[in-house]
Amino acid sequence: MFRLSATIGLAAVLALPPLALAQQAPPAAPSWQQGRPDSMAASPLAPHAPRMTVTAPDRLPTSALRVPEGFKVEVWAHGAPGARMMAEGPNGTVFVGSRTIGRVYAISEEGGQRRVRTIAQQLNQPNGVAVRDGNLYVTAINRVLRYDGIEGKLENPGEPADLTAAFNLPTEEHHGWKFTAFSPEGRLFMNIGVPCNICEFDRDRFAMIVSFRPDGSDRRVEAKGVRNSVGFDWHPTTRELWATNNGRDWAGNEMPHDTLLRIRRAGEDFGFPFCVGDWNDPAASERRQCSEFAQPAASLGPHTAPLGARFYTGSMFPETYRNHLFVARRGSWNREQLSGYDVAVARIGADGNVTGIEPFLTGFRDEANNRFLGRPVDVLQRRDGSLLVSDEQNGAIYRISRQ
Amino acid sequence: MILRDAVVAAALAAAVAFPSAAQDAAQGAALAEARGCGSCHGAKGIAEQPPMPSLAGQPAEFVTLQMILFRERLRDAPPMPDLAQGLEDGQIEDLAAHFAALPPGPPPDRGEADAGRAGEGAALSQRMNCGVCHLPTYAGRAQIPRVAGQREEYLVHALTQYREGTRRGSDTNMNAVMYGVTDAQIAALAHYLAQR
Ligand code: HEC
Ligand code: HEC
Repeated sequence: MFRLSATIGLAAVLALPPLALAQQAPPAAPSWQQGRPDSMAASPLAPHAPRMTVTAPDRLPTSALRVPEGFKVEVWAHGAPGARMMAEGPNGTVFVGSRTIGRVYAISEEGGQRRVRTIAQQLNQPNGVAVRDGNLYVTAINRVLRYDGIEGKLENPGEPADLTAAFNLPTEEHHGWKFTAFSPEGRLFMNIGVPCNICEFDRDRFAMIVSFRPDGSDRRVEAKGVRNSVGFDWHPTTRELWATNNGRDWAGNEMPHDTLLRIRRAGEDFGFPFCVGDWNDPAASERRQCSEFAQPAASLGPHTAPLGARFYTGSMFPETYRNHLFVARRGSWNREQLSGYDVAVARIGADGNVTGIEPFLTGFRDEANNRFLGRPVDVLQRRDGSLLVSDEQNGAIYRISRQ
Repeated sequence: MILRDAVVAAALAAAVAFPSAAQDAAQGAALAEARGCGSCHGAKGIAEQPPMPSLAGQPAEFVTLQMILFRERLRDAPPMPDLAQGLEDGQIEDLAAHFAALPPGPPPDRGEADAGRAGEGAALSQRMNCGVCHLPTYAGRAQIPRVAGQREEYLVHALTQYREGTRRGSDTNMNAVMYGVTDAQIAALAHYLAQR
C-alpha cells in the first residue's frame, strides 16, 4: 500500500539486504528508521522509554522548573500516568487523554484538592479529548466515543455512544493518535498523521488536518501535507487555524525543523513529504519546487516535538500575553543533544506574522547532563486565566499563575 | 568501538531521566516469593521450561512497563494479565528492581548451538540493527528488553507476535522491525540470541 520512493527504497535495501532479496515484496524499512541514511545506521538514538507508573509528588521536577518574573508554577494534579492532551468541561472538570497506558482521566476540584479518576481504560492510544455541549469525545486511533453529560456521571460514565463507523478513520497506528478540538463553528478537527517516518502515501488520506460535524459526517480537508500535527487552536480574533507540525526523523541533528503553521485557507498544502519550508527533503520520491507549497509561519527548532498549542485569551496574565500562542515542546529523541522540553510563547504581531519564539516554562531539560526531567505535551488555559501544562513522563499537571 | 560505547552511554543517560520512586529489590523479592513468580519464571528468574520467559537481568523499566501492560489488560499473554491484577505501581517497581538485580544466564536445558543457524541469525541481526536498540551485547536498556540467553521458543513466540501484530508493547517499534520477516528468519534470529 505504501510504496517506498527510490531513495528510501535504497536506504531500506542497505538496511535489510537479505530480506529484500529473499522475498517477493521487499518489506518497508521499519517506520522508526525509514529515511535514515546509511551513515546513521549505527546511531544509538532510539525513542525514550515512556513511564506508566505513578510518580510521587516529591519526585516531580517542580523545583527545577522556571517561569518568567511575576509568575509561579506549582503542581496542580499528579498520579495520572501518561497524561497528555487536555480539555475542560463546562463545570471545570479537566479531561486528560493518554497514549501507551490507554486511559482517559477526569480531574476535578474537590475541597481545594484535585481528584483524579480514570473514566475510560483499555483503549488504544486515546490521545484525543474534546468537549462540546457537556459531551466528551474521546478519539483512540480510529475509534470515536462520545460520553454524554459526562460531568454528571464521573463515578460511573457508563457505555459511550460509538461513532467509529460514522467517522470512518484510517486504522493505521503509527502517527495515528489524534489531537482533537472543536472549532469556533462547532466542527470536530483532528490530525491524520503519516503512517511512517517518511514514505510514499496517499496524500488525500494521510498527513492532513480534517474536520467533521460532531456526528462524524461531512468530512472536510482543512490542511494537507502536514506530517503530524498534535496540537492546534484558532486565533481569537482572526479565527485562522494555527497548528504545530512534527518534522521527520533521521535527517541529522539540525534538520528538518519542526514548524508552526498558519492555515489561512481551508485545504492549504504544506508540502510533506517534499518540502519543509524551503528545504527539499532528499528522501522524498521526487524534487518539487518548495514555492508551490504554503510556507510555515515559524520554525520551532529541529526535533523539538511541538505538540499542544493554545492562544491565551485570559486576563490573569499581563496584557502582553493576550492573543499570543503557548506551545508545549515535548522534546527530542532523534537528536544527539536534547532539544525542546519546554513551553514557549509564539509572539504574533498585528499583521498575523510571528515576531518571535520565547521560552516561557523551562527546566525540564538538564542541559549539562543531556537528560530530561519531564515531557510537556499540552497547555490549557482555564477560565480563571491560569495555564495548565501536562507532563506525560511524570503523569503530572502543573499550574502557572501570577504571583 | 570505544567512541561508540561513549555515544551509547550518552543516549542512555538521556533516556534514564528522573528516576521514579525509590524501588526496593528486597521488597520485590519478598513479593515475588509470596506471589509464586518463581514457580513459573524460575527460583532465580531463569525459566526452566516452556513457555515461560526468563526475567533475570531484564532492565527494570522493561519489566515495569510489561507488568503495567498486563495489569491494564493491554498485553494479552495468559496467565499474566490475571496475575497482575491488584498490583500497585510501587509493588510493580519493586518486582522489577528484584528481577533486574538477578544475574542473567541461559536456561539449564539449553541445547547445543547449531553453527549454521546461529551464523544466519547473527548476519540477520547485524543487518536489521537489532543491537542498535537492544545494545551490541543484547543486554537491553530501559524499555528495550534483554534478549541474550532468553529461552529460544519464547523468542520465536515473541517475534512472531510482533510480526502478526498481536503484541504491540510500549510502542510500535518491534512491529515495524518484524514487518515481513519469514518464519525461517525468526527461527535463525531466536537461535542466535538464545545462544548468546
Ligand atoms: C503460572 C505461571 C506464571 C506465573 C506464576 C507468573 N508468570 Fe509471568 N509469565 C508467564 C508466561 C507464560 C509468560 C509469557 C506469556 C506470553 O508472552 O505469552 C509470562 C511473562 C511475564 C513477563 C513478560 C516477560 C517478557 O520478556 O516479555 C513478565 C515481566 C512476568 N511474566 C512477570 C511475572 C511476575 C512479576 C510474576 C509474579 C508476580 C509472574 N510473572 C508470575 C507465566 C507466569
Ligand atoms: C527501534 C529499536 C529496536 C530495534 C531495532 C529492535 N528492537 Fe526488539 N524491542 C524493542 C523494544 C522497544 C521492545 C519492547 C517492546 C514491548 O514493549 O513489547 C523490544 C522487544 C523485543 C523482544 C521481546 C523480548 C521479550 O522478552 O519480551 C524481542 C525478542 C526482540 N525485541 C528482538 C529483536 C530483534 C531480533 C531485533 C532485530 C531483528 C530487534 N529486536 C530490533 C526495540 C527494538
